[in-house]
Amino acid sequence: MIGAISRSVLRRGWRAALRRERRRATGGMDMDALVTAEDLRKRFPRKRVGQRRWWPWARRENGRGGNGTGASGAAGDEWIVAVDGVSFEVQRGEIFGLLGPNGAGKSTTIRMLSTLLEPSAGTAVICGHDVRWEPMQARARLGVVLAGDRSLYWKLSGRENLEFFATLYHVPAHEVPHRVNWALERMGLADRADELVERYSTGMKQRLSLARALLADPPVLLLDEPTLGLDPQSARNLRELILELKREGRAILLTTHYMEEADFLCDRVAIIDHGTIIAMDSPGALKRRLPHERVYRLELRETNGALRLTDLVPGAAVVEERRDEATGTLHLALTLAEPEQDLAALWTGLAHSGASVVNYSVQEPTLEDVFISLTGRALRD
Amino acid sequence: MGAFRWWDYGRAVLAVFKKEWLMQLRYPAELVGAVIWPVLFPAVYIFSARALAGPDGEAVAVFASRTGTADYVGYILFGTMLWMILNITLWDLGGHLRREQVRGTLEACWTTPASRVGMLMGASLTQVSTSVAFLLVAALVLRVVYGFELRGSIGPLLLLMVLSILPVIGLGLAFASLVVVLKEINSLVFLVRGIFMVFAGMTYPVEVLPGWMQAVSRFLPLTYSIRAMRAVGLSGAGWAEVRGDALALMAFSVVLLVAGWLAFRGVERMAQQAGTLAHY
Ligand SMILES: Nc1ncnc2c1ncn2[C@@H]1O[C@H](COP(=O)(O)OP(=O)(O)OP(=O)(O)O)[C@@H](O)[C@H]1O
Ligand SMILES: [Mg+2]
Repeated sequence: MIGAISRSVLRRGWRAALRRERRRATGGMDMDALVTAEDLRKRFPRKRVGQRRWWPWARRENGRGGNGTGASGAAGDEWIVAVDGVSFEVQRGEIFGLLGPNGAGKSTTIRMLSTLLEPSAGTAVICGHDVRWEPMQARARLGVVLAGDRSLYWKLSGRENLEFFATLYHVPAHEVPHRVNWALERMGLADRADELVERYSTGMKQRLSLARALLADPPVLLLDEPTLGLDPQSARNLRELILELKREGRAILLTTHYMEEADFLCDRVAIIDHGTIIAMDSPGALKRRLPHERVYRLELRETNGALRLTDLVPGAAVVEERRDEATGTLHLALTLAEPEQDLAALWTGLAHSGASVVNYSVQEPTLEDVFISLTGRALRD
Repeated sequence: MGAFRWWDYGRAVLAVFKKEWLMQLRYPAELVGAVIWPVLFPAVYIFSARALAGPDGEAVAVFASRTGTADYVGYILFGTMLWMILNITLWDLGGHLRREQVRGTLEACWTTPASRVGMLMGASLTQVSTSVAFLLVAALVLRVVYGFELRGSIGPLLLLMVLSILPVIGLGLAFASLVVVLKEINSLVFLVRGIFMVFAGMTYPVEVLPGWMQAVSRFLPLTYSIRAMRAVGLSGAGWAEVRGDALALMAFSVVLLVAGWLAFRGVERMAQQAGTLAHY
C-alpha cells in the first residue's frame, strides 16, 4: 500500500516535471499541432492456440528465454509487431488519414492515441498532454469513435446513452440536456433520440457514436473506420458531417481502407503498411509522385485485326489488353509518356488504321495506384 | 487544470449507478425472479429438514441443542439468503466488466476522462443497492410465505448486513477482473459459490463438518456473516456476542476490497499492455 502511494506521488512529480519540460520544449514549436506521434511502437506478446498461459510468470519466463527482443518485427515469434515506429502530426482544422490494408496497424495506432493501449516505445501527445503521463487530460480533449458499432448501450435510448457519456466527459450537470440535444441535432438524430439503440440502423448507430465523441466539444477527434459497413448514401452523409467538423477547426485523425474516402476527406494521408508509414503527403501530391498519371482506356472495333498501337505511338505503354468475345471488341488501357503529343499521334494513328473507337475514357490515378506502386500489392486482397 | 476533482468522480459513480439501474429495469423478468427465488431456493432445505425432524418434530430438540434455536426455518433462511447475496454478486458484479467488454462499451467508457475505478465503484454501488433491496424484499416475502419473524434488534442486524455485503463486494470485484482474464464466468461462479455453499454453513452449523473443512470455513467471510446474523436474528444475541464476528467481517471487507482494487488495476494494466479488451 505505502509503496504504491509513494510510487504514485513520485509519478505525479514526474508528470509535473514532464509537463514543465514539454511547455519549455514546445515554446518555439508549431502550436497548431494538436496530435503528435513520435516514433510510436507497439508489439503484442504472441499467444498460440493450445498454449494459453494462465499464470503471468509463465509468460515472463518464456519471454526471457526466447529471442523476443528488438521491435523490428524480424525478432522471432515471441512478439507481434503491430506498429513499428510511426511519426506524424495532425494540425488544427486538418483531416489526417491513415490508409492501409487489414492488419497494417491503423487501429493499434488509434488505440495508443486514445490511451487504451500503452505504447511499447515512442511518445504520443494530445494538445500538449502525453498520453502516458497525463492520460486523463489527454482523454478530456479527445472524442473517439472506435471501429464497429458496438460501443453503445443497445438497451438504452440514444438520449440515455448520450446523457450517460456526457457525465463521464465531465459536462457540467446543468449543461447536459442542452449538450445532448445539440449533439443529437447535429447528427440528425433528434427525432429518434428516445428510441432504444437496438432499433437503430447501422448508419444511425455510427452517427450516435460520433455524437457521443462530440459531447465534450473536443479539439481532437479520432475516428477508426467511421464509414465501415454503411450504405453509400449514409457514408456520404457521414463524410459531409466530418468535413463540417474539420471546418470548425478540429484536428481529425481517421483510418480507412477506402482510398476514395481518403482522397475525398483527407488533407494529408499517411499510407501505412506492416506498421510503418511508407508515404505521407496530400492525396494530390502522392498521386503526382506516380511515374504516370492517367490511364487511357479505349474500346476498339478493328477491321483488319492486326492493330499495333505501340508502333503508332512511341510513348505508349499497354497496361491492359483484353478481347471481349461477346462484343468482339478490343479493350486497351494505356499510359502515355508525353500525353499531349502522344494523344495526337494516337488519334491520327487510329484514324489511319481503320479501327473504330466504340468507347473512350480517361482514368485519373487513385491512391490505390500509389499503394500498388509503393508495395507491389493491391490494397484489398 | 487537470486537477483531480472529487465532484467529477462522484458524478461518474452516480452516472454508472443510474445507467445500471435503467438497464436492470429494462428486464422486468429478472425482477420477478428476485421475488420467486428467495421462496423456492430454501424450500428444498426446509422440507428436507422437516422430513428429518420426524413426524412430530422429535429431532428438533437435537437441532436446538446444537444450534441454540429450534427455529430451523429461520436458521435455513438466514443461511440461504446470505448465500444468495453472494450468488447474485458473483453473477452481476462479477460479470460486469466482462459484459461491458463483450458489448464493446468498456473501451468506450475508458476513452472518457472519467475515473475507471470510479466507474467500477458505480457498479459496486449498484450491487450494494441490489443486495439491500433483495434482502428487504426477501424478508417481506418470507414473512408471508414461511411466517419468518426477526427476533433480534434491528440496529445490529442492519450493521451486520452491511458488514456482510462489503466483503462479498470485494470478492465480486476481484472476480470481475478474473473473469475478464479467463473470458468465462459460468464454471468460475459454480466453483466459488459451491465452495461457499458447503463450507460456510449455509444450512447447518460448521461444527458438524470434519476438522479440515472447518479450517477452510474460517477463511470464508460468509461463515461469519451467517453465524452472526443467526445469533442476532434468531436468538436475540447482543453486541457483545457477535463483536468477534463483526470484527472479522470488517477485516475481510478491508482485505477483499483492497484485493478487488488491486485485481482491477492488474487487469487494467494488462489490457493496456496486451490489448485484451478488444479481443474477447
Ligand atoms: N491485442 C492484440 N494482440 C495481439 N495482436 C494484435 C492485437 N491487436 C492487434 N494485433 C495485431 O496487430 C496487427 C495490427 O492490427 P490493427 O488492428 O492495428 O490493424 P488495422 O490496420 O486496424 O487493420 P484492419 O483494417 O483489419 O482494422 C495485426 O496483425 C493484428 O493481428
Ligand atoms: Mg482496424
